[in-house]
Amino acid sequence: MPRAKLTTKKLAERIDLNYFKHPHPLRRWRTILSVAMPALALLWLLWIAFTHNARVYSSGRMSASHAVLTARCDECHVKEAGSFSAAAEDRACAACHDGPIHHANQVFTPKCSGCHVEHRGPRRLAATADADCAQCHADLRTSGAATGFAREIRSFGAGHPEFAALRPGSTDPGTVKLNHAVHLKANLLGPNGPVQLDCDDCHRPPASQAAWRFAAPQPKPDAAPAKDVPPSRIAARAYMTPIAYAKHCIGCHGLQFDKRFKESVPHDTPQVVHAFVVQKFQQYIAEHPAELRETNSSRDLPQRPAPPSPRQVTPQEWVAERVAESEELLWRKTCKECHALSVAPGAPLPAVAKSNIKPRWFEHAVFSHDAHRLMKCVECHAAAPSSRETSDVLLPGIRSCRQCHHPGGDAVESRCFECHTYHDWSKEKAVKGKLTFSHLLHGD
Amino acid sequence: MRIDRTHRAWLIASMVILGAATAVYIPYAANSPGGPSGGSPIGLTFGIVGSAFMVFAGLLAARKKVALWRLGRAQAWMRGHLWLGLLSLPLILFHAGFHARGPLTAVLLALVIIVVASGVFGAALQHYIPNVMTSEVPFETVFEQIDHVRSQLLAESAQLIGRVSAPLSLVVAAPSGDLAATADAALGAEEATAPLRDFYELEMRPFLENPRGRNQRLADPQAARGIFKGLRVLLPPGAEETLKSLEEICEEERQLRRQARLHHLLHDWLMLHIPLSFALLLLGAVHAFMALRY
Amino acid sequence: MSAGAQVELTIDGKKVSVPAGTTVFDAARLNGIAIPTLCHQQNETPVGVCRVCVVDVGARVFTASCVRPVEPGMVVNTSSEKVQRARRTLVELLMADHPSPCARQQQSGDCELETLAKRAEISRSRFGRRSTSRGKDDSSPSIAVDFDACILCDRCIRGCSEIRNNFVLGRMGKGSLAGIAFDDNQPMGDSSCVSCGECMVSCPTGALTNKSTTETAIGSGPGIEPVTIEDLQELPVFKGVSGTFLSLNRGAVVRRKFRRGEIICREGEYGSTAFYILDGKARVSISSPMAHVKTIGRLKKFLGKLSSGLTQRAQDVRDEESNQRWIPIDAPVDLAYDNPVADLGPGDLFGEMTCMSLYPRSATVRAATDCTVLEMLRNVLDIMQRSKSFRAQLDKSYRERALDSHLRGVPVFSALTDEFIGSLRESVELVRYSPGQVICRQGDPADSFYLVRIGFVKVSQAHPGGEIVLAYLSRGDFFGETGLLRGDIRTASCTALDHVEVVRIGASDFNRMVREFPDVRRKLEEVEQDRAQQNRERLAVVQSVPLENFLQQGLMEAQSLLLLDLTNCTRCDACVRACADAHDGITRLVREGLRFDHYLVATSCRQCLDPLCMVGCPVGSIRRRNSLEVIIEDWCIGCGLCAKNCPYGNINIHPFEVMAEDPENPGRKRAMVKQKATSCDLCTNLAEPSCVYACPHDAAHRVDPRKFFAGLVGQSGTPAQKIS
Repeated sequence: MPRAKLTTKKLAERIDLNYFKHPHPLRRWRTILSVAMPALALLWLLWIAFTHNARVYSSGRMSASHAVLTARCDECHVKEAGSFSAAAEDRACAACHDGPIHHANQVFTPKCSGCHVEHRGPRRLAATADADCAQCHADLRTSGAATGFAREIRSFGAGHPEFAALRPGSTDPGTVKLNHAVHLKANLLGPNGPVQLDCDDCHRPPASQAAWRFAAPQPKPDAAPAKDVPPSRIAARAYMTPIAYAKHCIGCHGLQFDKRFKESVPHDTPQVVHAFVVQKFQQYIAEHPAELRETNSSRDLPQRPAPPSPRQVTPQEWVAERVAESEELLWRKTCKECHALSVAPGAPLPAVAKSNIKPRWFEHAVFSHDAHRLMKCVECHAAAPSSRETSDVLLPGIRSCRQCHHPGGDAVESRCFECHTYHDWSKEKAVKGKLTFSHLLHGD
Repeated sequence: MRIDRTHRAWLIASMVILGAATAVYIPYAANSPGGPSGGSPIGLTFGIVGSAFMVFAGLLAARKKVALWRLGRAQAWMRGHLWLGLLSLPLILFHAGFHARGPLTAVLLALVIIVVASGVFGAALQHYIPNVMTSEVPFETVFEQIDHVRSQLLAESAQLIGRVSAPLSLVVAAPSGDLAATADAALGAEEATAPLRDFYELEMRPFLENPRGRNQRLADPQAARGIFKGLRVLLPPGAEETLKSLEEICEEERQLRRQARLHHLLHDWLMLHIPLSFALLLLGAVHAFMALRY
Repeated sequence: MSAGAQVELTIDGKKVSVPAGTTVFDAARLNGIAIPTLCHQQNETPVGVCRVCVVDVGARVFTASCVRPVEPGMVVNTSSEKVQRARRTLVELLMADHPSPCARQQQSGDCELETLAKRAEISRSRFGRRSTSRGKDDSSPSIAVDFDACILCDRCIRGCSEIRNNFVLGRMGKGSLAGIAFDDNQPMGDSSCVSCGECMVSCPTGALTNKSTTETAIGSGPGIEPVTIEDLQELPVFKGVSGTFLSLNRGAVVRRKFRRGEIICREGEYGSTAFYILDGKARVSISSPMAHVKTIGRLKKFLGKLSSGLTQRAQDVRDEESNQRWIPIDAPVDLAYDNPVADLGPGDLFGEMTCMSLYPRSATVRAATDCTVLEMLRNVLDIMQRSKSFRAQLDKSYRERALDSHLRGVPVFSALTDEFIGSLRESVELVRYSPGQVICRQGDPADSFYLVRIGFVKVSQAHPGGEIVLAYLSRGDFFGETGLLRGDIRTASCTALDHVEVVRIGASDFNRMVREFPDVRRKLEEVEQDRAQQNRERLAVVQSVPLENFLQQGLMEAQSLLLLDLTNCTRCDACVRACADAHDGITRLVREGLRFDHYLVATSCRQCLDPLCMVGCPVGSIRRRNSLEVIIEDWCIGCGLCAKNCPYGNINIHPFEVMAEDPENPGRKRAMVKQKATSCDLCTNLAEPSCVYACPHDAAHRVDPRKFFAGLVGQSGTPAQKIS
């Protein structure tokens, strides 16, 4: 029997008119899943809410310093009643940190989180971006008096001026005369023969335990640094030990004043020196009264013997004469070798200008010699071996720093924070800690 | 929906949007301290626009439910869904700065990628499968009614077999009305149609009743042709019509199976795309709320 | 030979004397000698075709005794050895082709041929059977024709012509193709046969037998009374109907009594009987609510779904309201739209269309008083319809009661005065046509105006290559005015599709009408122009070159197709859901059907040019609007015929819950489920069809196939290129 010829009507009659109302498994599963998936997500969220585990909402790992707060979101994200936002505000930071502002006359105070970006993984929070500093310094405005600072600094490479000490016209304010070239030359005559001075015979970080070559024997060594502290932790190693006569000069520059004495005068104020000299001569004449009678034999010229004119002086006269002679030597030669003395008219003793040897040249930046100990001193202080004038500023220029400190993967950190700081730490206020273990670790 | 010349306007607009977004993103990413971040103003803008596109894409399901409300033609919504949904991926990537640092944001990024990728895959399928269905399944019927039609085929084949087993149809009626002779003919007819009835019971009925059965010879057109050829040899010529009808029924059943397979191919991806997109919208809303608050 | 003279002859050795002019057969019969015959029947003129009655008269050949008149001195031998052998051979020859046992032999065991054969002990003919069957004719409601059993004896022909004077039967063909024919060799049921039964009674074999009426007898039901043939024959309406026929059709007509208030028939039910009221009154009404299906926006509901509901005309006036004031039903009266109730009384016949053409009942009839009706099947109604006295009665009834409302019911004639209609009353003619009969032919001179009373008329135009259907007309429609107004010939042919009755108004009356009522003339002219326009459009369609497949699927017939582009369609069902949302949850489209090119032609109303759905509506409620979409008027009774007729399965019947009059308790309302027919309405109340609007993949299109496939259809044989 042949099958009935298929017509539209026969085809249509096969179909139940209400078929689309009885959902096919395919459609049903689609609906079920469409409800199940968001429900699953909702359950997950509810579980999170229930277990107070808000870590899932974190937008990144915490920095190393705040890692302990990872589970304590609301230490920083404090929600005020009535406000929507629970962003980390300065107030939350201030609970543990004080961050004094930069300058009293700054026109704009950024938020803590503006520069210190958390949730970026284990990186230094202090490592702020140049743009954060540049938000003021790229176009510096101040409220109040104009400052002498450069006005368009964008980064170390873009707009950072030459260091202030090296600006044209600035000189080393030190009054102690020093000619580096002479001191560093070969075959320099020392007390025991020729010596070759090296930079670190005078310039060294203070925690260094090596003995100074040209120092006086010191009965008391410097305080030894703590045994188990690594060098990087000792802040004192950043700068060189301040130049001291006793450590760096005394080895060659003795302060003898009279051939009768081996000792030098103490390296001190003229008053002290005078008192010492007087005391020394008084002591001497008391021990050698025969010297009271002076003969001038030493003043004879070979062809013209002078008639002997013995003098008999009193000890006081003798001391006074001898002191005058010594002081003339000292004030006019020995001390003057290095110091700038000035005699006020009518003043018995000269005045010595303050030495003004700058221990730290950067007033607004930090520099650590210890971090740079890998370099040869003359690489940066290239001008030193040839510097003849005391007034020469031997600070390396910014160009020397930029050799290594520039942006790029194979260069050294050159961002602002490496040398500068925003916060005026001199104004730091102490913060009283309030956290307990149970709260920090367990959230109670 | 096929993407053809009529989509040109949408394509151009999308390219423009993508170009503009890229032109904004590159300098922004290069110049942001700390890299591009979703919370920065530009990042936030990307996030808002991207989510707006995603929400619109998600509203397609709602639009289809109220198909008669005059809110714009279904095709316009579909085109919007395709293009804006596609655009939401780069925009969200720009928003995220190509990184996802937190757990929730990582889940969201994964979801966005899966949803958009599955959507692209589904759209690609729609260019191909309907053509295949049209050309390979001439006996196509309504997918949801395949079982219903199949049961009708089963009934039809049962009826054919029932009729063929009735003795008189295969034998010319005896002229003299001799009852005895008719009975003999009937017996002969039963024996003659035994192979057909066996075939029906053993092969064809299970074939029709078990759409998911395995090792069914009739499922292969070549094998089926061979079987029917064999049956034609075994059965008297009077059975030709019945055999032809049965063969057609088998062919229709094969086509219904093919149709079901193709239909699943065309639609199964939605099982991934739709539920995940709802989860995405939900979690995205939560993320937006949380991120803005914190 | 002079009349009255006697003739002497010898028959079988016996001497007999018979009047001159007597045939040998009669002479033998008068003298007690029986000669077997087949084609001879006593009350008919003998023709001598079968030769079974041959006798030996001593001539060179045997002679047929039924036609041979006696001659003086004839020696007749009726049963000699040779004669018997001859007869036997004749019977054997006839038995060779006889489908033994034939219907008559089976029914009553008295097939004359087989009786002769049995008597001659012929069990098997020596002669071969003819290779082709001469066929059967089952078209007559009462008589079954089996040409294989016909022995061409001519008895039926003579019975129909001589005895009954109906002159339906005749001979056709020659040689082995010879046979009996009805009228111009039409099927018996389509001929002018009146089913009197004379041929059947005359036929010696089972060629013409009574159709068994046992299955089609009216079942026993409430109030049925047995009615005898005598009872029936007493009724004036059955005058002239053959008693034999009535007895053979026992059970096809019954008398029923209904008590007051009982329902005789319900609208929408299918049936096969007509009712004739003998006494009492009945009330006919339509209880289906006067409401059409309208898609309304239920904004009160959540989500504002659109759904279909029933809306009365008062609440929703649609464009192009038909303004029909009268609802045509299957009864002698029409129902007024505003108050669809009318009364029927004794002598009224209703249910004709249900009985003759098996249409559903068009209205509900309830007995207003105790009444007695005759319920009859088609074969009996057929007879009654052809009975002249019955026809005269129906005619009179129509003229008095229905003509008025019928004419007035046609909007064009609303201006006619009572006086004019009164003058028309006697001059109009009620003419009946059987299915397929041509009412007026294209090219004939126009001489009448027709108003369709019952049935469906096809208006078509013949062209050199074939025929084009222009329109279908049903009750209340009119035709023929074009030719009359122009004074011209008919421009189209009108053919009856089923049993049609028309009211024919002659040319003179028509001309008088348009002269006296210029308003009517104007309206007629408007209608004529409309029709001419529609015809032009229809012809324009045919002039495009169609593709084979296109035509085969009937796509050319459509004015609007819902095409689903299968290369875009993802089979997501959005279109079906949208359609259901817009239409009370029942979709008007199914995503199944035949394909054309790469489109699926969805099962949804095609707004056919040749709307088969409209043929047969018992209340004429399905019509076309604006030459496009099909609308179903308020009074659809939900019978489902249009759904059956639509060849594409586009119409469905839907239940609606309504508060309607309780048929058991008139005057009270009860919640019921009423059916109304619905189909795709192109979402005319929305800007765009919902399915097209809701398809997300641009795959659903409502198109005019001629324009859409214009490129395709112009290139015959080339597969489709994508139409952009």
